[in-house]
Amino acid sequence: MKSRQSVTLLSLLVAVSLVLAACAPQEAPITEEPSMPEPQAPEATEAPVPTEEPAMPKTTRHGGWLDEIDVSVVSGDSAISQLQAGAIDLYSYGLASDVYPAIKEAGLKYSQSYGGSYSLMFNPAVFEDTTRLNPFSNRKIREAMNWLIDRNYINQEIYAGGSLAKFFAVTTQLVEYTDLIDTARALESKYAYNFDKAKEVITAEMTAMGAVLGSDGKWQYQNAPVNVIFLIRPDGDGTRKPMGDYVANQLEAIGFTVERQYKKSSEAAPIWRGSQAKLGLWNLYTAGWLPSGLTRDERGQIQQMYLNTSIQGVDPFISNVSDPEFQKLGDDLAQGNFSTPEERKAMMERALELSLQDSLQVFTIEQVQYSPYNENVQLTYDLASGVEGAYVGPYNLRFVGEEGGAMKVGTADLFTEPWNTVSGSNWVWDSNIMRATEMGTGNIVGTAGLMGDPYTGLAWPHRIESASLTYKKGLPIRQSLDWYSLEAADEIPVPSDAWVDWNATEQRWITAAEKFPEGTTANVKSVVVYPADLFETVTWHDGSPVSVGDFVMAMLMPFDMAKPESAIYDESLVPSLEATLATFKGYRIVSTDPLTIEAYNDSYNADAELNILPLWPLSPFGLSGENSWTIFAVTNLAEANKEIAYTSNKADTLQVEQTSWVGGPSLEVLAKYLDQAAGESYIPYKPTLGQYITKEEADLRYGNFTKWYEEHGHFWVGTGPYYVDKVYTTEKSLVLKNNADFVDLADRWSAFSEPKLARILLDGSGQVKAGEESVFDVSVSFKDDPYPSSDIQRVKYILYDTTGAVVVVGDAEFVGEGQYRVTLGADVTSKLPTGSARLEVAVVPVPVAVPAFTSLDFVVVK
Amino acid sequence: MAVVTRSPSENVVLKKPASTSALVRVLRYVVMRLLVLGMTVVIGVYLTIMIANMGGYVDTIMRSEVADRITQSIAANPAMQQMDPDTRRKLIEERITAEEKRLGLDTPIAVRNFRYLSNALTLRLGRAINLTSDAGSKQVRRILLERLPATLLLMGVSQIFLFVSSVLLALNLSRRYGSIWDKVVVALSPTSAVPPWFYGIFLILIFASLLKVLPFNGMVGSPPPSNPLDYTLSVLKHLILPALSLVLSSFFLSIYNYRTFFLIYSSEDYVEMAKAKGLPPRTIEREYILRPTLPTIITNFALLIIGLWTGATITETVFLWPGLGRTLYQAIGLYDIPVIVGSTIIFAYLLAMTVFLLDFVYAIVDPRVKVGG
Repeated sequence: MKSRQSVTLLSLLVAVSLVLAACAPQEAPITEEPSMPEPQAPEATEAPVPTEEPAMPKTTRHGGWLDEIDVSVVSGDSAISQLQAGAIDLYSYGLASDVYPAIKEAGLKYSQSYGGSYSLMFNPAVFEDTTRLNPFSNRKIREAMNWLIDRNYINQEIYAGGSLAKFFAVTTQLVEYTDLIDTARALESKYAYNFDKAKEVITAEMTAMGAVLGSDGKWQYQNAPVNVIFLIRPDGDGTRKPMGDYVANQLEAIGFTVERQYKKSSEAAPIWRGSQAKLGLWNLYTAGWLPSGLTRDERGQIQQMYLNTSIQGVDPFISNVSDPEFQKLGDDLAQGNFSTPEERKAMMERALELSLQDSLQVFTIEQVQYSPYNENVQLTYDLASGVEGAYVGPYNLRFVGEEGGAMKVGTADLFTEPWNTVSGSNWVWDSNIMRATEMGTGNIVGTAGLMGDPYTGLAWPHRIESASLTYKKGLPIRQSLDWYSLEAADEIPVPSDAWVDWNATEQRWITAAEKFPEGTTANVKSVVVYPADLFETVTWHDGSPVSVGDFVMAMLMPFDMAKPESAIYDESLVPSLEATLATFKGYRIVSTDPLTIEAYNDSYNADAELNILPLWPLSPFGLSGENSWTIFAVTNLAEANKEIAYTSNKADTLQVEQTSWVGGPSLEVLAKYLDQAAGESYIPYKPTLGQYITKEEADLRYGNFTKWYEEHGHFWVGTGPYYVDKVYTTEKSLVLKNNADFVDLADRWSAFSEPKLARILLDGSGQVKAGEESVFDVSVSFKDDPYPSSDIQRVKYILYDTTGAVVVVGDAEFVGEGQYRVTLGADVTSKLPTGSARLEVAVVPVPVAVPAFTSLDFVVVK
Repeated sequence: MAVVTRSPSENVVLKKPASTSALVRVLRYVVMRLLVLGMTVVIGVYLTIMIANMGGYVDTIMRSEVADRITQSIAANPAMQQMDPDTRRKLIEERITAEEKRLGLDTPIAVRNFRYLSNALTLRLGRAINLTSDAGSKQVRRILLERLPATLLLMGVSQIFLFVSSVLLALNLSRRYGSIWDKVVVALSPTSAVPPWFYGIFLILIFASLLKVLPFNGMVGSPPPSNPLDYTLSVLKHLILPALSLVLSSFFLSIYNYRTFFLIYSSEDYVEMAKAKGLPPRTIEREYILRPTLPTIITNFALLIIGLWTGATITETVFLWPGLGRTLYQAIGLYDIPVIVGSTIIFAYLLAMTVFLLDFVYAIVDPRVKVGG
């Protein structure tokens, strides 16, 4: 009997312990208050100036700092535990901000970056069913939704305070926002949470629309409750569900009857995107938008996020009837219909204001993501796109104070799609690896031997000697860096021998003289001169020197593949070429020693640096990864014989495998055609490339490439600081090894290594007498040293009164290095009502794209 | 029922049928059985197709996703942002049309359903819509085969260990009814209510995070050792925690089930008779208890073997084990009907074959059973 009782007791204990374990709180409760109420975006790091001495000690090491990087797939849920256990040194994929407290608690270092944004998307249509009232067809009610929701509450409660409140379509605290900081902060203050104001506006508008507030506190329309269908997404990172519930609660609190429909992406999309807005299948939706990277020019966002001319091209955008002024402003901004930066700025300021009045979407949260890493790791990350989005990242990844060593890196996935540079994987984890194997980065209009600045989004020369840019007078183009020359011209004629199109039948370029017999012009012209020793110093990972053939092959591939006469024609690439040709005006190789290439374009970017077009054998389709003419030649042979295809579209049509240069059935096919090409000393596109590639070069190339494949078992070859040593597709891991033959020393980009964190201190009296002058001191520092004034663009101040309204905006007065002063004159303080007031100071540095903020509360007395 | 069972005592009075009539009977049975199983497979697979594409609603979902994906990709391209809206819209529409064509959305759903069905029945597994294998292939055959070894290893090791240990321990316990070990097993059997992935999380916390003696997840260390012996050892090390979690989650309940099963057979009259006759316990266990239970045990084992094909979705996900369970889960999430159907048809054929063969196995191991009788 006793033993039976013992057994029963034991079983009960086990059951209870399991239940308790299941109910136990997690290590890092998401509601925990983080140590900083709202983390500032990572702060200043000085952009490298090519002529400056690197900040780090000199080294003789070439390539990357590490001997080996072992990348494997690690679940985000266990990333922090694995870092603590030493199983990995870095988790490079960005984790959602709700893990921020756990990262802090674990004592790990971390990077911050933008991870996309969330908004409330409204159905703006008047419903066909006239018995149903759609409150959000009323612009004023949509505007009032800004006051109804407390973005700071959402951030604290759902995102553990680790993200940022978002009001605008432009990225919060990034380049565009920083340029408009006065307007942005004033509008944020105006549209801050104010439940009573929201209720007042909504009540007035609902009444005007014929609704009646019933005795039960619920809005009625034609004797039926005003039912609001709210599509709430429970999938993704799971944060949209609590956010949706919060908004639904707020709507219910002011009298709406809310029908919460929890639908995952695939279920919600056919309703909010796929249905006609006027059918009224929904009223509002928890929308999410991907991050746009460190984009410096976000003027197109106004049109895209609000207007019926939006690139989204679906209801509810099409159904939105915006204020005519807003419509014109948004369209003009998107089309570039302005002539000076000042005019553009004024248009953006007005557009921000009108966007909140329109509020087809009410933005709620700018997500911040975190990549944790161990104390002994040093890395550089991109302010907008994090560790995996930083072009310079692989160059600077190292163990602190060490040269060499093997680092274990975890990420969310690998080999999600086949790897090739025409239409292969562009998943962030795959691209991150590819970038470690390449030199430089793509820019806004093409491909380039440039290095992206992780803190400003501008570009620095990586493998070019000099450059110049000419733009058509009147275009709003500005220069930020001085590593190239810039000039404006009345007209930029395209030379008659410039290559403007491709004749796939004859395999030769079509010149401007042939295509435009009357002559043609371009909006911008860039001239890039490459180093004289380029072809001696830069080699592919298989040992072959880079040649002009690589450049020309990368130039012609996007043309040839989209021409029906080509042996590798792919109809899915035609729209891309058509889009390119709409603005592309020509290439011209002026010289091959040193290599000098001109590029002509009608498409332009407001930042002059981003219009420099130094061609490089990088992916001609904007993906990551480099491509020698050799790999294209071999793959093209296979594709021409319909055994594999670059794009999934063509692969599906032909029922063959999509080309992968790192694994799978493609490898066997490619090896076969490599043998064939080697046997024939094959020179692709001979009428054109035959001018640049000799038989000797072809033999050397194919010989080296064959040896490479035999040794490493794949065809992924670049010129970057690391090479892919081994690939394990099923095991989802990969080994990168240092390229000791890399042309640059490991400290080439070390100036980006350590973030130059700015610190602002604001000091002044806690009590201000209205009508009397008051002075506040501002000190801006980096590591206890004054922040150089040459690195500070602006120090702005904004004064808010007790209601949160902006009283005055101004520039702080420069006193000395790192020292500024804000003087509130008697005429200003006299405008302040008694009570609390707040002075906010924003520092806009030059080397980074984000501003730093601080504020001081004081009391106003009479 | 095609299979007739009789008690051992009845066997002695049955007359042996003539060999020709037996052959006809068996043949008739085989044909009928194959027809019925074939129809079951056809209906099962067609229902799977219908469920997988939600009666055609998946087309609507996919069209929305295609439109969204293409629009966002164009929206993210700065070069296209300066295009005039009409040209841009035309470009988007062209791309959407091309993508819908690639995905087969331009073909009526009914036609596609029957195409899926006929391809599946003839084992032409075709190409996945969105999913690719780890090596980059879109052929369903490759996608499934690539993950099969990992699943067979994990499920095979855990399930066969579970099966063998459960049967042996249960047999042992059935002889010790009411003993302390018997009571411990009974008491712990509710622990099987906890799913394996839950044990998995605890095991990871204990052995990987705290003790740091076993890896957190994956199938092999990173980078995978090049030496085959080291590679094998690394795989085995990674196998311990996921296999253990699968075993632990079913261990006590499995023993309890078999033990109860054996106990029922232990109390049969003919067993009591054997005991009364003074036969040795081992003989009673082997000849009088185990043998009559063989059909059930073999059925369980056969179903266990084909069940290996399905993998363990959440456990594989927790341990990032590259198995079929995760592949199927991904395929369902992506509405990748060819992969779902491919996996289902193979399981359906394996199940049908197993059911078919088991009828004959029963007749071999149990003299009371007669095929088609």
